[in-house]
Amino acid sequence: MSAFYNTFERHSHGEGLKGHSTHYCPGCGHGLAHKFLAESIDELGIQDRTIAISPVGCSVFLYYYMDVGNSQAAHGRAPAVAIGHKMANPNSIVVSYQGDGDLASIGLAEIISAAQMGLPISVIFVNNAIYGMTGGQMAPTTLKGMKTMTSPYGRNENMGSPLKMAELIAQMDSPIYVERVALFDSKQRIRAKKAIKKALQIQVENKGFSFVEVLAECPTHLHLSPTEAQDWVKNSMLPVFPLGVKKDVEPTHIFSFEKPSFESGKLLALIGATAEDVPKFANSFPKHIDPLDISLKLAGSGGDGAQTAALLITRTAINEGFDSTHIPSYGPESRGGTSYADVHIAEMEVLSPSAPDPHILIAFNQPSMDKFAPKVRENGIIIGDSTVIHSMPAIDPTVKVVMVPMSAIATELGKIMVKNVVALGALQAATGLFPEQSFLTAIQQGLKDKKELFPLNVEAFHRGMEAALKSEKI
Amino acid sequence: MPNSRENLLPAVDPAYCKGCARCIDACLHNCIEMGNEINPLTGLTPVILHLEDCTHCGLCVTACPEPYGLHMDSITDDYSAVRPETFDGVVKTRPKAASIPSTKIPINPGKPILIKGTYASSIGAVLAGCRHFYGYPITPSTEGAELMAKLLPNLDGIFIQAVSEVAAINMLYGTGGAGLPCMTFTSSPGFSLMLEGISYMIGSEVPSVIVNIMRGGPGLGNIAPEQSDLKLVCHGLGHGNTQCVVLAPATPQEMLDLTMLAFELTFKYRNPVIIIGDGYLGQITGKVSLPDYMIQPGLPDWAVYGDAGHRGNLIASIDITEPDLEARNIRLNHKYDTMIKAEQRSDSFFCEDAEILLVAMNTPAQMAKGAVQQLRSEGIKVGLFRPITAWPFPVDALSKLIPQIRQIVVVEASNGQLEDEIRLSLSKAGVTQLPPISFVRRFGGILPQTHEIVEKIHALEGVVA
Ligand code: SF4
Ligand code: SF4
Ligand code: SF4
Repeated sequence: MSAFYNTFERHSHGEGLKGHSTHYCPGCGHGLAHKFLAESIDELGIQDRTIAISPVGCSVFLYYYMDVGNSQAAHGRAPAVAIGHKMANPNSIVVSYQGDGDLASIGLAEIISAAQMGLPISVIFVNNAIYGMTGGQMAPTTLKGMKTMTSPYGRNENMGSPLKMAELIAQMDSPIYVERVALFDSKQRIRAKKAIKKALQIQVENKGFSFVEVLAECPTHLHLSPTEAQDWVKNSMLPVFPLGVKKDVEPTHIFSFEKPSFESGKLLALIGATAEDVPKFANSFPKHIDPLDISLKLAGSGGDGAQTAALLITRTAINEGFDSTHIPSYGPESRGGTSYADVHIAEMEVLSPSAPDPHILIAFNQPSMDKFAPKVRENGIIIGDSTVIHSMPAIDPTVKVVMVPMSAIATELGKIMVKNVVALGALQAATGLFPEQSFLTAIQQGLKDKKELFPLNVEAFHRGMEAALKSEKI
Repeated sequence: MPNSRENLLPAVDPAYCKGCARCIDACLHNCIEMGNEINPLTGLTPVILHLEDCTHCGLCVTACPEPYGLHMDSITDDYSAVRPETFDGVVKTRPKAASIPSTKIPINPGKPILIKGTYASSIGAVLAGCRHFYGYPITPSTEGAELMAKLLPNLDGIFIQAVSEVAAINMLYGTGGAGLPCMTFTSSPGFSLMLEGISYMIGSEVPSVIVNIMRGGPGLGNIAPEQSDLKLVCHGLGHGNTQCVVLAPATPQEMLDLTMLAFELTFKYRNPVIIIGDGYLGQITGKVSLPDYMIQPGLPDWAVYGDAGHRGNLIASIDITEPDLEARNIRLNHKYDTMIKAEQRSDSFFCEDAEILLVAMNTPAQMAKGAVQQLRSEGIKVGLFRPITAWPFPVDALSKLIPQIRQIVVVEASNGQLEDEIRLSLSKAGVTQLPPISFVRRFGGILPQTHEIVEKIHALEGVVA
């Protein structure tokens, strides 16, 4: 008994002999690896749960034969596909079956990372030291001096040495079982079967990642008879690829996965949805700044809190029932250097979200002032930190400048981080964008789990308001 | 029929022996020898068994690479009686799984929330039933992945940071192939790496949602917004005859809404769905209203899920014979045709009486809206046509507008890729009388700004500012 299909319907539609014979060359090692896999699946009673990942290579048609769930992967990607299947249904038993080109060449990144991730999948790696499907080219496991279609004069020093996958995988932390086996005589075949079964058994027990390398014969591209090919594996491959258990350890933990949750309450809480009403304080859209759409730019260096202040303005506007957007500068320039944010507030819908010529600029440092102040539009307002800004660039004469010692006030309050809240207070007093209470409500919301900081923020806000009203000229 | 080992002997149907001689080497009692007649059915020379000294050890059977080759059987004298079909006794039948449809669970959406574009897309995904995320960090899409990394463990879902975009897309291939909703976020260079996998998904009919927050290119380019992957998503989804529905949101709200739609469409068509945003849209924070339902996914009958009902299923894109592969292509093309008919989506802004038509997608469409508003206040009859599906291009809606339009202006952060889509789809639709097409284009991470669009129209209209 085994897990082979009764008829190989997918092999040339099961016609003629193909319904019951493989596409492999006489003596090919793949047939045996398939057989031991099929027998192990049957003996472990996991046929319904098993998903076999077919690779690209001679064994691309694994799915012709295995009466299990089948998935055919792109060249080298079988371990990634296997992980995708395993995570979709942790109860499935997923086998990534790969040849040497697939696993040890194009798919190196996938196999190494899958092994180190250690998720419970079983990998069967058939190493016959040559590319079969494409017609006998050099494999990463090709022996030194060996002639192939792409190493016609023999694999030389420039082509590197054979890659020993079992050893490579075994020295990693996560895999729990790694063995190299062969197929050239009865003893090896019995061991190979045992190893494949063990690799599956480990997955059944949710223990972790297992890897069996099978030294196999490719008589066709070795240009040997099947019997000679067996001898070649024994005499030539074995010295390079020693057989045996490379790693066999007890896992540090047993994998277990919960069924995904679709509980709506939990999900809504997680994404911060709330049905709570937020009080409104503004009587109307701040039309005195612009009848439809107000743009602000906040700029400073990384730690100035420009982004947080921008978000608080956006939140305030949305609480008041208007539309608002915030775009940060992002990427390398936001780590350290200047950080700026564009905010729009619209009565109906924010159309263009960027602020190349803002109504209002809040500048936290001299470079920001120099860069953006000239762009503030007619009748606009500039709010700057007078502690650190000591000169003004040329600006539109209709623009009002309000200088507030934000850093000095924040330092006095004992927390330089509230500098941006001082700025918001100044913004409120200087522009009347929204009522004081609107801002304070948004600040309170923003503090969520740091409620004890609210009084300090209120004070900072008030100090900003006061300072704006007696703005210093520079 | 119960058989003790002693009354079983090796047997092989000559038609299923490939003459590899592995069994000959395996037998310690010289019971097997190479035959001397070529089997006319196979062209190979099967072995001959002399079982007088056979010890029933079975080593020869273990040596045979053919599933229906050498096996232990009670019949010894008539090979032809040994039909492979009977090896396992009665042919095993099992119930096929029926498709389990997804269910809509009503929720109280509450007040609008304030979130950035990538977050809105992540939230759309979890509301649409996605509990599997695979991705590789790349600016400016990473925040979406980071939010998934926070949310999914709390929902007993799976978040895996893959070794590369190549691995990530293939993990999606696995989970999508298992019939479950799954997604990734990436950005242009990462999207390029995913193209192979996307082609496999389309060929194998595997659903998945891929969000590409486009950034400046070519090469490493920069991380600022661009729209230069349009040719890829519309005409270059890997090798072969490939198409996907491509959704192009313009606001955080649409990031959520269209992500939810993407999950619906990807299962409807068994085809990946691509969402394209620009770097701005990924980063922009805005007001987002939640829907009044969420989805609990079902399980389709075709899934390779790893249980009894789905055992016979196969996810693959290989058809070794030409007629089979042609048939697959015809089936896929038919699906693309259905999408072209059913899935065109677009938005019009002040188009009713427009004489000048702006065409733009994503954030540039918002810039264009700003321009329309300003130009309308000057009395210029301009409107905005905004494709929501980049593919299929909403040519039906656009064609209807064409007769009234005397000037088209395409606004895009690419070198004419959107204009190409417009020209190609109008041409295919047989609309040959086109008004002049002009453009506002920026690249390198700079989006066309409202004032640039206004200036362009002023110049075209001869308005002196
Ligand atoms: S080419 Fe080699 S690996 Fe491929 S089927 Fe033939 S013998 Fe096997
Ligand atoms: S069962 Fe054993 S003894 Fe008999 S033919 Fe096979 S290998 Fe030889
Ligand atoms: S091992 Fe199988 S295929 Fe090979 S010669 Fe023996 S019976 Fe034939």
